Amino acid sequence: MSGFRLPQCGRIDRSRPVSFSFDGTVYQGYAGDTLASALLANGVMLLGRSFKYHRPRGVLGAGSEEPNALVSVTRGPGRFTPNLRATGVEIYGGLTASSQNRWPSLKTDLGAINDRLGMFLPAGFYNKTFMWPRSFWERLYEPAIRRMAGLGEAPTEIDPDHYGATYAHCDLLIVGAGPAGIDAALEASATSKRVILIDEQDEPGGGALADPALWPWLEESLKDLAAAPNITVLSRTTAFGYYHDNFIGAVERLTDHLPHPAAGLREKLWRIRAGEVILAQGAIERPLVFAGNDVPGVMLASAARTFLHRYGVAVGKRVALMAAHDSGWLDIFALARAGVAVAGIIDVRESVAAPLLTEAEQLGLTIHLGHSVIDVHGRLAVKGVTIARNNGAAAARLACDALLMAGGWTPSVHLWSHSKGSLAWRDELGAYVPDRANEQTRCVGACSGKWNFGSGLVLDALPTPRDPARIKAFVDFQNDVTARDIRLAVREGFKSIEHIKRYTTTGMATDQGKTSNLNGLQIASTALGLPVVDIGLTTFRPPYTPQTFGALAGHAKDALFQPTRKTTIDGWAEENGAVFELVAQWRRARYFPKAGEDMHAAVNRECRAVRASVGIFDASTLGKIEVVGPDAAEFLNRMYTNPWKALEPGRCRYGLLLKEDGFITDDGVSARLAPDRFHLTTTTGGAARVLNMMEDYLQTEWPDLNVWLTSTTEQWAVIALQGPLARKLLEPLVSGIDLSEQAFPHMAIREGTICGVPTRLFRVSFTGELGFEINVPAAYGRALWERLMADGAAYDITPYGTETMHVLRAEKGFIIVGQDTDGTVTPYDAGLDWAVGKKKPDFVGKRSLARPDIAAAGRKQLVGLLTDDPADVLEEGAQIVADPAQAIPMTMLGHVTSSYWSETLGRSIAFALVAGGQGRLGETLHIPMPDKVVTAKVSGMVFYDPAGARLNV
Amino acid sequence: MSDSLTRAEPVSSEPFAAQGVTITLAPPMARLSLRARDRATLEDLLGRKLPAKIGATAGEIACLGPDEWLLRSAQGAAIPLGEGLPLAVTEISERAVCLIVEGPRAAEVLMAGCPLDLELFASGRATRTIFETVEIILIRSGENRFEVEVWRSFAPWLQLALTTAAAQLR
Repeated sequence: MSGFRLPQCGRIDRSRPVSFSFDGTVYQGYAGDTLASALLANGVMLLGRSFKYHRPRGVLGAGSEEPNALVSVTRGPGRFTPNLRATGVEIYGGLTASSQNRWPSLKTDLGAINDRLGMFLPAGFYNKTFMWPRSFWERLYEPAIRRMAGLGEAPTEIDPDHYGATYAHCDLLIVGAGPAGIDAALEASATSKRVILIDEQDEPGGGALADPALWPWLEESLKDLAAAPNITVLSRTTAFGYYHDNFIGAVERLTDHLPHPAAGLREKLWRIRAGEVILAQGAIERPLVFAGNDVPGVMLASAARTFLHRYGVAVGKRVALMAAHDSGWLDIFALARAGVAVAGIIDVRESVAAPLLTEAEQLGLTIHLGHSVIDVHGRLAVKGVTIARNNGAAAARLACDALLMAGGWTPSVHLWSHSKGSLAWRDELGAYVPDRANEQTRCVGACSGKWNFGSGLVLDALPTPRDPARIKAFVDFQNDVTARDIRLAVREGFKSIEHIKRYTTTGMATDQGKTSNLNGLQIASTALGLPVVDIGLTTFRPPYTPQTFGALAGHAKDALFQPTRKTTIDGWAEENGAVFELVAQWRRARYFPKAGEDMHAAVNRECRAVRASVGIFDASTLGKIEVVGPDAAEFLNRMYTNPWKALEPGRCRYGLLLKEDGFITDDGVSARLAPDRFHLTTTTGGAARVLNMMEDYLQTEWPDLNVWLTSTTEQWAVIALQGPLARKLLEPLVSGIDLSEQAFPHMAIREGTICGVPTRLFRVSFTGELGFEINVPAAYGRALWERLMADGAAYDITPYGTETMHVLRAEKGFIIVGQDTDGTVTPYDAGLDWAVGKKKPDFVGKRSLARPDIAAAGRKQLVGLLTDDPADVLEEGAQIVADPAQAIPMTMLGHVTSSYWSETLGRSIAFALVAGGQGRLGETLHIPMPDKVVTAKVSGMVFYDPAGARLNV
Repeated sequence: MSDSLTRAEPVSSEPFAAQGVTITLAPPMARLSLRARDRATLEDLLGRKLPAKIGATAGEIACLGPDEWLLRSAQGAAIPLGEGLPLAVTEISERAVCLIVEGPRAAEVLMAGCPLDLELFASGRATRTIFETVEIILIRSGENRFEVEVWRSFAPWLQLALTTAAAQLR
């Protein structure tokens, strides 16, 4: 077929023909065409298959309201975009588009069997039909339904495109560059306001693009806007969401319309903060509800006018109009004047304004007042319609190949509703219009209900003599919801539109009810016998139209997905074959395997080295907070469970931090550098949380204290030297510090220099061996590490990772907050009674420790577990029971929190949280595993050197 | 600081240039966090004036909060710690590095991830803010020159984010 392109009209560039393909067939269009207009120009009416019934569908609208003509576009590997509206896809040379949700082809779709089975697939059918047997749902029913229903295929390859993002600020943001939006921008061009005008189409103009009389005005206005220095116009940009405080999300499409996109961004996310927002989103024409209103060729009257004037395309060779509103008459007049044959004007109203009748007569058009279309003939395209008087009499058939619907107008209040502006019902429009603003915003033009399209009749569905239960009259085209489905929902007891929406799916998903919401409301209103305002309105949700995940992710992918924090020593670890693990945002070396070693072999070797000679460990990720001021000791005394005021400068103390509920939240060793200066350490993962918590107390509870907190985590690189030879290695490198046991005992800090660099040297141990933690300014961490590795070669120095650190600390009974505690463990539960200052008047969490439940017997307590078979290494997380013979479900006493093979002890060791654990020492408990039941005895938690002889040397 | 140990920086010191924007790692500098309820106590200690208004800078010192100042100095300066006084002086020279974003479109590069209205952020202003999820201190040291202070471990991510944004300017 051909000949749908009219010789003169349109804004397309006829000097630039464009070849493109749809479902494998090559067609010609012109630059300026959309896929929809170019296909219609080629006489292609069938563009897609519907969601549920696989019914043939054509084009309903001409813009982003299009519910039917969804297509996929592919631009090579990874560049596949499904569910694009054909009315918004600009064609370019080589465009490759295809239809969706059909097999084997668009014309012959086996899924269309659903249409024949329609009466078995009413609203909510899957809740009713597929309930039994229950087990079939997951394995059979749901996968089958998912295969049958739906939209385009999800892309399967990694998207190679780049996406950008930016913030922008303006005094005035105008959404929509139709006449109302352009007028608002022109008005603002005379001010000093920073203005952004955004529009979703490829050229600004909105409705004016379909009205040649306005083109001279449009051209002048756009010139003025381009000349105004304070106005930025963004085309191909969709404002998809309106968020708090005039924050608007918009996506600019940069390359999808280009045949050969240069390297660069495909789309850009604009995050706009505006002083004031003017919404000029326009209005969307409403379809009419009657049998066959979804046959390809039945479309909105305004869309036909857009195809005519903007693209120079006649939507049919013999076109009929079904109107309930004056605007449709004006549209069909435009077609008639352009030379398109008109089969007739059918209007449900008994009378219309005289000027319309006069003009129709002048154009020689046949008029059927008080009539309605009661059937549409043709399956893949309209072949004709049957009309009848509204009382059902005098049925007659009209031959036509397109039918226009003019059901009145619906203001686009989507963004207004996102902003929580209220709506008011207007009976004469049969629509909700913006009422009270919630943000600094207002609506102008058609989206505020102001238009000059004449008037119309508001009705739920066209009258028909046929049985309404046996016809398919569509309300929501995209979700395949008919008037019958909504009436069924009402019959089944749904009274609120929110419930009706969820039961029938009308107005849901990507379409957001752009063409269907108000028809759905009217039908529910009639069925319930209640006014529309009494059944509510569903919530419009962002995005206004579907957006790509790429645009929303912006830069945040691959290496920019999120920061991976690395210490200054990380590079050395990488060069030396470390295996890493992520701890919070940090990447830490877990172990350093030598050739042929698995993790266990490496960890065993690292453990032996620390116990026998010296190990070196990167502890830089430990959280560090410098607490300074005359009230520093007082502040720490209030925060931690144990006493801090008497700690002498130069000494360290283990600090235990609770939340107000009395449960352990963090711990760490901290040092007093001076009477008014402390160097705190926290767990790696707890650093930010602890600083925030301390700041919170300082600012809200004790603002009178003269003390200030500074995060110094990244100021210092921290190298732990642990093992009997640590002092020997360190001694020659340090100046200004006497390292002897007498001068520098365990749990002390000294300041001096190491290799000429200032250091805060801690004598502390998380391994049970003689140990030091060397703090140096972060920039020198790697150089110092390399120096220690070089000098340490003589002492068999061995780098070790977090896994070895975990084993060594477990041998000594040291807990890890977050592994051995889970937010429900008190100091008493953890066996840390010694760390609670009994005489202190107060500390954070103290009051909670006196609560009856915290003091009650039978709480889960941390204990050691030694398996009867020393070779059995328990699984962390394994459940513990007293009687493995008990029927399932068994009484669970607790679980294993830490478990390792201890190379030092030649056996396995574990910690566990066990109900009443501290009273069960020596008791045998059972750990049922899939293949066997492991038995273990409850023990103390310190497995190695309980007297601490190896520390104080 | 040391003859025997060499410094290591978290990011390359190789300058990056695209679309008229250069992004450079600033040379090492001394940084101190200065805290006091009463500005005068710090002024007495340092023997110099502090900017009073949040967001203002005066020479090497920026006012970041009601009781917080940041001193950055290229040379490094011996500053008394003010032991016993109601104030806090904390050494943070190596906590952060500084990336300098310079050029006619420098603001555009920063707007890619920084939610501040940079048109209203005059030369001489300084503030703690974010670039996407990463905390930064942003100092406008000239009409077309921004200094971005960022904690060391976040610097490689930020450098990549800024250079990517600059390369993608159209």
